[in-house]
Amino acid sequence: MTKYTMYSKMIVHSLLRRRSRMFVALLAVAIGATVLSGLVTIYYDVPRQMGREFRSYGANLILIPAGDSQVVAETDVARATELLPQEQLVGIASYLYGRIKVNEQPIMVAGIHFQEVKKVSPFWQIRGNWPEEQAGDILIGAEVAELLKVEPGQSVTLAAGESERKAKVAGIVRTGGTEENYIFTDLPMLQQMLNKEGQVSVTQVSVMATEAELTTFTKTAGDKVPAVTPRLVKRVTQSEEMVLGKLQALVYLVTIVVLLLTLICVATTMMAVVAERRKEIGLKKALGAENRSIVLEFLGEGLMLGLLGGLLGTVLGFFFAQSVSVNVFGRMISFQPLIACMALIVSIMVTGVACLIPVKTATSVEPAIVLRGE
Amino acid sequence: MNILELRDISMIYGTVKALQDINLTVQKGEWVALMGPSGSGKTTLMNIIGCMDKASRGSVVLDGVEFSQLNAKQLTAIRRDKIGLVFQQFHLVPYLTALENVMVAQYYHSMPDEQEAMAALERVGLAERARHLPSQLSGGEQQRVCIARALINYPMLILADEPTGNLDEANANIVLRLFQELHQEGHTIIMVTHDPDVGKLAERCIMLDHGKIVQHSNRYEGVAKACVNG
Repeated sequence: MTKYTMYSKMIVHSLLRRRSRMFVALLAVAIGATVLSGLVTIYYDVPRQMGREFRSYGANLILIPAGDSQVVAETDVARATELLPQEQLVGIASYLYGRIKVNEQPIMVAGIHFQEVKKVSPFWQIRGNWPEEQAGDILIGAEVAELLKVEPGQSVTLAAGESERKAKVAGIVRTGGTEENYIFTDLPMLQQMLNKEGQVSVTQVSVMATEAELTTFTKTAGDKVPAVTPRLVKRVTQSEEMVLGKLQALVYLVTIVVLLLTLICVATTMMAVVAERRKEIGLKKALGAENRSIVLEFLGEGLMLGLLGGLLGTVLGFFFAQSVSVNVFGRMISFQPLIACMALIVSIMVTGVACLIPVKTATSVEPAIVLRGE
Repeated sequence: MNILELRDISMIYGTVKALQDINLTVQKGEWVALMGPSGSGKTTLMNIIGCMDKASRGSVVLDGVEFSQLNAKQLTAIRRDKIGLVFQQFHLVPYLTALENVMVAQYYHSMPDEQEAMAALERVGLAERARHLPSQLSGGEQQRVCIARALINYPMLILADEPTGNLDEANANIVLRLFQELHQEGHTIIMVTHDPDVGKLAERCIMLDHGKIVQHSNRYEGVAKACVNG
């Protein structure tokens, strides 16, 4: 049997055959690791989860025609939006604005792709239904509906120049904003009526990205597609950054506090372990153990505790984070191996540091206490 | 041949003189009994001989090495290499088996050797109990493990502190028989005891009282009298 085997045996048996005391220490490490791993997972996942939440407040980026132009070609918009990270795109809603007559009254109109607007502006409240794409139905803003005294299901007459057609009102829009003063038609239909095929006035983009990422995009897109001027919707991006920053700072602070508490808890438990094992330490020293051997044994026990508690805590921490994510954000999170490794390493390190003082105390035990019978 | 020499050893704790001018020589293969009432300084003397305490004054020479100039690390090395300890309370590591407890001494000394440790347990009649934890052994068995552990590194001196003090008569006899065998094999033994019958087994009996040697006799010069008086 090698010295290393005997060393491992002593450590493992010390932990396994003194279960009750070691269970308390293991629990302390595991709880610390659970909270640590859970919080770091949440810390990592909060921007992603909150980013999705923020997307329900509307677009965070708009693309407008460059210079004095009132419209921009849809192909240019497409070239610009291709530069965005496609997997993070929530929706791209283009608008073509104009003025037409509705039941003989001049009204502001916007041509849109209804399904895209639904994604970008999920906060729109519709009384009635969203129109089917290309069905020729329209949405009417609440103010306009009141003015024209129309209800969902009724038809109105749309006239622009020589062009005139009947359209059924699918729903009435309430947003609390300027949208209530517009009517919304299918984009190709309006482009045809206004003789502006393939052109749009503005494009709203909802994308899960930080303010910094969006700023980079605006520069790149502006350079590569000169016909388009991208602009951030500052009130959305800045609020998002601020809220996320504060949330992350809070989680960060709690993580530090938990780490400190774990450190104190493990150190206290290890001190108690050393105190109750003074005789054993004295005996080992009486048998010829050098301080280095005693330090290595206690440190080994501590690190083993850190490893076991860390493993247990990492697994529990994932479930803790999962539970928080499901209950708060209503979404599942994926297992992050990097966070698991990090939590494990931090648990081992924290336990190691927590063992330093007790281990130092252990080396000061006099072997004579064994003979004195103290 | 002198294996141990104590010259003018004194131990002073504040104003208390635990030992005063102790002079003692122990020869190789000798069995010496240290006797005396509680507080007479027996354990203090054992601690000094066992390199677990340093005398306030005087010198201890074991196998030609003088202790007073040695640091803690060097004293630990002497204890590990030259001394085997047997305790009244047995003092086994509670979470290790009998075999592992013997191997612990090997581990700190050099290299654990399971076969050798098993042979040591066989010698004290505990081969079948080798895989048992101390809590599963009787007091006598625990003391025999303690003796096997003390012998495993071939010490030049065995220090035994009341080795039968916590044992019933049957177990005490087994343990004493072991000590007699060790003595016959040539081991040097210093044993602290209160028991005159145990003291009689030793070749020499040293009586301590208030930190001083008050009687020093050998078997052939009335040790029985000295020990019985103690």
